[in-house]
Amino acid sequence: MGIQEQYRSEAAALLSSGEVKLVIGFGAGSTADRRRPLFARTPEEAEKFVLDAACIANLSTYLVAEGLLSDGKKVGVFLKPDGIRSVNILISEAQLKPEQVVILGYAIENGKDVVPLEGCNISDFSIGEKIRSHTPPTHVIEAAEKIEAMSAEERFEFWKEEFAKCIKCYACRQVCPMCYCRRCIVDVNQPQWVSTSSHTLGNFEWNLVRAFHLAGRCAACGACDRACPVNIPLRLVNYRMGKEVRSAFDYVAGENSDQKPVLASFKQDDPETFIL
Amino acid sequence: MTRILLRNKLDDCIAAWQKAGFSVLAPVKRHEMSSFGEVQKSGDMALDLILTERTIKDQFFPQTEPLIKYKIGKQQIDSETMTPPEKKRVFFGVRPCDASGLAIDDPLFGWDYKDDYWFRRRDNSVIVTIACAQADDFCMCTSVKLSPDSAKGADVLLRPLLEGSGWQIEVFTERGKALLEIVSSLLLEGNGHTFPLPQVPEKFDLEKVMAWLGDKENFESQFWKDIALRCVGCGSCTFLCPTCHCFDIQDEGDTYQGIRRKNWDSCSFALFTMHTSGHNPRNTQSTRWRQRIMHKFNYYRGKFGVNSCSGCGRCTRQCPVDMGITETLQAITNLPR
Ligand code: SF4
Ligand code: SF4
Ligand code: SF4
Ligand code: SF4
Repeated sequence: MGIQEQYRSEAAALLSSGEVKLVIGFGAGSTADRRRPLFARTPEEAEKFVLDAACIANLSTYLVAEGLLSDGKKVGVFLKPDGIRSVNILISEAQLKPEQVVILGYAIENGKDVVPLEGCNISDFSIGEKIRSHTPPTHVIEAAEKIEAMSAEERFEFWKEEFAKCIKCYACRQVCPMCYCRRCIVDVNQPQWVSTSSHTLGNFEWNLVRAFHLAGRCAACGACDRACPVNIPLRLVNYRMGKEVRSAFDYVAGENSDQKPVLASFKQDDPETFIL
Repeated sequence: MTRILLRNKLDDCIAAWQKAGFSVLAPVKRHEMSSFGEVQKSGDMALDLILTERTIKDQFFPQTEPLIKYKIGKQQIDSETMTPPEKKRVFFGVRPCDASGLAIDDPLFGWDYKDDYWFRRRDNSVIVTIACAQADDFCMCTSVKLSPDSAKGADVLLRPLLEGSGWQIEVFTERGKALLEIVSSLLLEGNGHTFPLPQVPEKFDLEKVMAWLGDKENFESQFWKDIALRCVGCGSCTFLCPTCHCFDIQDEGDTYQGIRRKNWDSCSFALFTMHTSGHNPRNTQSTRWRQRIMHKFNYYRGKFGVNSCSGCGRCTRQCPVDMGITETLQAITNLPR
């Protein structure tokens, strides 16, 4: 039995036993190479799940959808390691109760083989070591190094041109599991703290606010980067912030659910280089 | 006898139009994104794209537009109205769906009040549409009763010649005629074989969809809750749509001075309908998605006699969760009657 059939029947079993009220997975998309999120509430619906190397979205975003878990019932969700990291972060930030989430874990190897990850509760997945040794794709590192090698002026020019493209559609925020604020600062309008105008300055404000707010919290799933309709390389922002946090605090977000959020906690030996 | 514009005369045409005071805008690919931008020569144009990622709408209704500059003094308020640029522009290589989008939005911007910011730009622009030679899986102009060679919204329509050497010309308006007058010595007389139009299958039954949407019984249907479940509520589909036109007026500045701006807004956002009290009449994503469909295929038609969709397919192409208008209208078409 292939992994797709195996996970279909596991999802169906979770639903028919009543253990979960809903399973969030993938279904066929509008073209042959697309997959779309699929919500199954019955064992029959679970038969429509697809699981293959095109299932790259981070479905943990839906776990923080308003009202989804407020009835205390459990949900099942298909997650890759980046989704599992996201769940770890959400638990450590007290946004999820571990017992409410049943994970159908899988990994995509070499961009084509889908393999199961053993376990079903978040505590079953010890992916900490794997994350530490995980290296982002070479093209990301190369692009990031190219930017780091620029002078401050060149770097500013680069980001100015990229952020000038932003249309403030907030797709990056909406697909991000870590952007769960019920009212994002840019939506706080009494008074309007961050201007809604999508001119270059306003776009800088938005993208910097978001980068800062995600520092030390990003699961590096790449969802924001893929969602951006104007192709701003948000992966480079995430990569740099991740690197910064790692070198300053030896911290990688999402290693386990007992981690204290790095910028919301204090350690005696934290570096204090910013204090002159 | 029709006339032909040869590709190798395009640079001369651009120069002639520029000399006559026009800016020339065309599809361009810059910084990993395709949109309409100013060009100096034909080599700057990305005419082979099926469709630019950004729409031509941006050039008439920018994402942020300054309206008024104001200063609040002790005794008086000074204000200065900011007018949109009046530069004459040629848009070369517009796709039929994008040009249709402009025509669809005209009645909206001219409804109870004539929006100067839209019409000054419209009145100073000439639209040269190029009929499509290719389509992708998301194109759906035929489903909304348009076509890959629709001249809606166009002043001039060009049909690509089979051998790729140029375009056959059709003129529809006085403005188009005047534009071609400028380059008349560069055009050839003749009839070429034009490229066959791409097959764009109809994806849904528009009549059936409109009838279902028009039935008040269906407004509270479970259908809306189910279909919108995975929508994450971003502004991608509305901001990339050639016909979506909602905006918000914002004063940007401090207590004493500032600029009043017209900024894009989206019915997908929860904030769009949020009252000052905190009450939100559209408090779930399904009610917001329903609004988008109802506005396009029911309310807009009721007011202006046309649907607010030109079938470009961008809403599906760019949706991060593979939603879009097409799926919903297909699902309505397939509902048991
Ligand atoms: S910021 Fe982007 S990469 Fe990081 S968790 Fe959010 S969506 Fe994923
Ligand atoms: S997804 Fe891209 S265009 Fe949209 S708000 Fe984010 S950065 Fe801007
Ligand atoms: S349909 Fe897609 S693009 Fe439109 S608001 Fe929903 S998630 Fe965003
Ligand atoms: S609703 Fe979708 S298909 Fe229709 S015009 Fe807008 S973006 Fe294009």
